[in-house]
Amino acid sequence: MIEIGTEAPDFNLRDQFGRKISLSQFRGKKHVLLLFYPLDFTAT
Amino acid sequence: MSISVDSTAVHAAFGASLGGISYPMLADFHPKGAMATDYGVYQEQYGTTERATVIVDASGLVQHASATGKRDMEALAALCKEIDSKHGELPQGDTSAGLPGASTLFVRDHCGASTAVLRARTNLHLDAMAVKNVSQSEESMKELRDLSGAETAPVLVVDGEVKAESIKILRYLADTCTAL
Repeated sequence: MIEIGTEAPDFNLRDQFGRKISLSQFRGKKHVLLLFYPLDFTAT
Repeated sequence: MSISVDSTAVHAAFGASLGGISYPMLADFHPKGAMATDYGVYQEQYGTTERATVIVDASGLVQHASATGKRDMEALAALCKEIDSKHGELPQGDTSAGLPGASTLFVRDHCGASTAVLRARTNLHLDAMAVKNVSQSEESMKELRDLSGAETAPVLVVDGEVKAESIKILRYLADTCTAL
């Protein structure tokens, strides 16, 4: 798992509205909370 | 923002099923798990990501990283406050103004594009947006024809302006109704 203090890797993924979201778009603007989870519709 | 390997379509359905989720639900779909792999939380043997939490501050640095099963939301909220207070001042964000006026969404049955826009309406909590199903109401179909000159759906009318094509409607709604 990524370590505290390191530079977070950028990404460019689509969301449920079809927008492309990247980490870099928040640079200098907002802190980002990333919640990873296994699968939609399951309790995994 | 949330991330899983599910596709955007599944995220839209899942979000709507939960009553509407307006924060970005990212699809780490193709290449599968690529983003999760970069963050060291992809589980190759299952083809899914761990239930993990990472906080990246506005400077791009990782301030928190954990994968301890059920999340302690109170502790996370406190941690977020701490990171915010320690960090330098950030520009005041844009607060989205929402839709500029009254809105009506025309949809039809057996239409994936109509379903996609209906899900976005739920995810963005746009309860004030009227919905008219042209497959079920001749009156609605006539209204759609009068407004847009055609019978194609979905069509969104906002403040008198007609918007067609689901992809364009989805982008318009996301851009005006969420503040990223």
